[in-house]
Amino acid sequence: MLAAATGDVKRRSFFREWILTVDHKKIGIMYAVTAIVFFFIGGLAALFIRTQLAMPGNMIIPPDMFNQAFTMHGTIMIFLWIIPMLTGAFGNYLVPIMIGAHDMAFPKMNALSYWLFLLGGLVLMSSFVVGAIPEVGWTAYPPYSIQSQGAGLDLWVTSVHILGLSSILAAINFIVTTFNMRAPGMTMNRMPLFVWANLVTSFIQLFGTPALAGAVTTLLMDRHLKTTFYDVAAGGDPMLYQHLFWFYSHPAVYVMIVPAMGIVSEIIPVFARKPIFGYKAIAYSSIMIGLLGFLVWAHHMFVAGMQLSAGIPFMITSLIIAVPTAIKIFNWLASLWGGQINYTTPMLYVTFGFIGLFTVGGLSGIVLGNVPLDLHLHDTYFVVAHFHYVLFGGSMMAIIAGTYFWFPKVTGKMYKESTAKIIFWTYFIGTNLTFFPMHMIGLNGMPRRVFVYTPDLTFLNQISTAGAFLVGLASLAFVIQICVATMKGEKASANPWNANTLEWTNASSPPTEFNFEALPIVTEDPYQYGEKPGKSKGNIA
Amino acid sequence: MERFLWLPEAIGKTASEIDGLFNLTFAIALVVFVLVEALLVIFMIRFKRKAPGKEGRYIEGSTKAEVIWTLIPAIILVVLGIYSSGMVYTIQETPSDVYEIKVVGMKWAWEFEYPNGAKSMNDLRIPEGKNVLFKITSKDVIHSFWVPEFRLKQDAVPGRETQFVLYAQDVENLNQKYEKRVICAEYCGNAHSKMLADFTIMPAGEFDTWVAEEKTRKKTDGYSIALANGCTSCHSIDGSKGAGPTWKGLLGSERELANGQKVVVDEAYIKESILDPNAKVAKGVTGVMPAYQLDDETIGYLVKYFEELK
Repeated sequence: MLAAATGDVKRRSFFREWILTVDHKKIGIMYAVTAIVFFFIGGLAALFIRTQLAMPGNMIIPPDMFNQAFTMHGTIMIFLWIIPMLTGAFGNYLVPIMIGAHDMAFPKMNALSYWLFLLGGLVLMSSFVVGAIPEVGWTAYPPYSIQSQGAGLDLWVTSVHILGLSSILAAINFIVTTFNMRAPGMTMNRMPLFVWANLVTSFIQLFGTPALAGAVTTLLMDRHLKTTFYDVAAGGDPMLYQHLFWFYSHPAVYVMIVPAMGIVSEIIPVFARKPIFGYKAIAYSSIMIGLLGFLVWAHHMFVAGMQLSAGIPFMITSLIIAVPTAIKIFNWLASLWGGQINYTTPMLYVTFGFIGLFTVGGLSGIVLGNVPLDLHLHDTYFVVAHFHYVLFGGSMMAIIAGTYFWFPKVTGKMYKESTAKIIFWTYFIGTNLTFFPMHMIGLNGMPRRVFVYTPDLTFLNQISTAGAFLVGLASLAFVIQICVATMKGEKASANPWNANTLEWTNASSPPTEFNFEALPIVTEDPYQYGEKPGKSKGNIA
Repeated sequence: MERFLWLPEAIGKTASEIDGLFNLTFAIALVVFVLVEALLVIFMIRFKRKAPGKEGRYIEGSTKAEVIWTLIPAIILVVLGIYSSGMVYTIQETPSDVYEIKVVGMKWAWEFEYPNGAKSMNDLRIPEGKNVLFKITSKDVIHSFWVPEFRLKQDAVPGRETQFVLYAQDVENLNQKYEKRVICAEYCGNAHSKMLADFTIMPAGEFDTWVAEEKTRKKTDGYSIALANGCTSCHSIDGSKGAGPTWKGLLGSERELANGQKVVVDEAYIKESILDPNAKVAKGVTGVMPAYQLDDETIGYLVKYFEELK
C-alpha cells in the first residue's frame, strides 16, 4: 500500500495551489471544471432551441435570437466542452500518470494551454456582455458570415484563434510526452489504449487546426481589410472557405470521438475482468481513423456546387472509415464475451450507452456518406440526428463514464452507485427521445437551423423537446451528484476497481504531487485481467 | 402519423432510384444494428458476474476473428460504394431534350425563370412529361434549393451555377399545389425558415398557356406582390412578431427610428424603405432587409394594400 498524501504536505494558498500550478493533474481538473460550466451554457442554448421548436409556429424567441442560440450551442459544445473535456481534462490528467511520468514534458506550456482555453472561452462569452452574439452558425459560411452585422463574428473568430493555439500547444505537449516520458518497460505496445487514442488525436489537432486558423483569418480579412477571398464580384469563391473549414472540422469530429473510444477501451476490461480483446487492432485502428479522417472532408460539400462525381472519392473514403470503427465495436463486444461483467455505472455508460448509441450514429453516417442519399438528406434534421448520436450517444456517454470511473482517483472519494444508475437511465432514455425522432423529421423535409416548421411534424418535434428537458434534468443531477460526492463521499482506496493501469496500481487516491513514490517499472501488458490457465493473475510491477 | 415515419412521396425517376438505394442501405444498417445490439444485450446478461471477485476468461484476441470482422464490413462497404458511384453518374447526366428553368435564390425568396422570359416568385410550375433541367444560382448569400419529393438538392451559390434534372414520368397529382415544398436548406439569415416556395406539376398544355400569360401579366394586387417578393417572410400582416416590423396598422403610424428620430409612415417613407432599407431603420429591428428594385407603380399597389391593413 502506498503512503497517502497526508499532513506532511504544506498547505498552500488557493492562488499558489491552482492559479500558478503546473501540475498536470490540477490543470486537468481545471479544464474539467471550466468545460462543465461551458457545457451548461451550451445546454441552455439547446433548451432554448427545443423550446422554440415545441410548436411549429412558435414565436417565443425572435428569429435572430434563435439563430444566435444555435450558433452558440454548436460553438460551445464543440470548442468549449467536448474537445477541452476529452483532450484537456482527461488527456492532461491521465496521459502522464498512465505512462508512468511525473508530469507532462512541458508543464508550463501545459498551464498556458489551459489559460488560453479559458481566455478563448471568455472572449466568446463576452459577446453576451457586449450584446453582439454571433448568429452565423458554428460553420460561419461566407458570404453570409462576412455580411453579418456587429462584432459577433469578430469575437467568434478571435475566440476560435485563441482556442486553436491552445489546442496546438497541447497537441505538441502530448506528442512529446508520449514519445519521451514513458516509464522503463512502457513500450508503445504496452501503453494503455487511452494514451494511444490521445496520441492520434494530438496529431489530428496538430495538422488540422492550422487549416481552420487560415479559414477564419480570411473571413476576418475579407470583413476588415477589403480582401476578396470570398467576394464573388471580385473573383473570389465562397467554396474555398468550405474546403478549408472542413479540412479541419471533419478531423475535429475524430478529435471528439477517438479519445472517447479510448475511455471505452479502458473501462471495459476492468469491469468485464478480462484482457481487452485485440489490443493492437484497437490501437492501430485509431491510427487508421486519424489518417482516413483527413481524406473525407468534402462529404460535407456533396451539394455545395462541386460536380457530383467529384464526391465519389470522398464517398468511398467516408464509407471505408466505418471499417476501423466497426473493428473497435466488434473487439469491445468480444471483450465482453466470457467475462464476469460487473454492472458499475461507468460500465453501463460505455456498454449500453456508448456501444448501444454510437452504433446508431455510425450507421446513419453510412447513409449520409453516400452521394445520392445525401442529395436528399444533406442539411436536414437527419444530419442533426446523426451527429448527435455520435457526439451525445458517443462522446458524451464516454465523458460521463470516464468521470465516474476516475472520480475515486481524482477526488479520493466514492460516489453512490444507486443514484448514478438512475441518472444513467434518465440520460439513456432522454437521449433517444431527443434525437431518434430527428431522423424521421429530416426524412420528411425539415431542414436544419429553422425556427418554424410545417405542422405535420409537430408531434415528432414535441417528443424531441420533451427528451431534451429530460437530458437537461439528468445533466443537472449528474453535476449535483459529483459535487455532493466530492464533498461528502466515502473515502476511496487507491484501487477501488481492482484495475491494472499505473494510475490505479502505483498511485494513491488522489495521487501525490509527483504521481508516484518511486518510478514505476513496467513488465507486463496493461490489461492482464482474468484467469490465466496455469498462472495466477498477473499484475504490473 | 405513420406517413411521417418514412420518406415522403417520390416524384421523378431519380427519386425512385434514390429511394431504392436508401432502402438497400437501410436494410444493411438494420442488420448490423440488430446484430450489434443483440450481441451487446446477450453478452451483458449472459456474462454478468456470478460472484464477487470472480475473474473472466483470459483471452487476448484472435487474428482470425480480426480478419473476419475487418474484411466483411470492408467488402460490403466497397461494393455499396461502387454501386452508388454508378448511380452518381446517372444522376449527373443531362439528357439532350430538357426544358430549362432557372432558379435564383435571394434573401428570402425563390425566383423561377422560364425559357420565354416569364418569371414567377415563390411559385414553381413544372410541365408534365418533360425532362426539366434546373439551373440554380443565388443573388446574395448561399442558399440551397431542395424539393424533398424530388430527393434532390443543390446549393444556390453566388457566382456559380449548379444544376439537377427532374426526369419526366407519370405524375399522379397533376395541378396539385405542393405548398411550401421548395425549401431553402442552407442557413441564410433571419427568414431562412420561411424561404419556402410552392410547386405544381401541370399538364403540358395548361402549362404552356400559363407560362405565356405569365410573361405579360402585370401584378396589380398588393398581397400577391408582397408574397411574390418574399416580403411576408419577415413582415407579418396580422400584427405578429417577425424579423421585420408588422404591416398591420403601419401606414400613417408614427414610429421611432434607431437613431431616435420620429417619422410618420407615409408613401414616401415606404418607398425609401423598399429601395434603400438601411436609410431609416425602425427602432428595435435587428433583421437586415435587402434592397428591392420595384417601380413606382408596383410600390403604389403595395401602399394601396397597406391601406387595407390599417
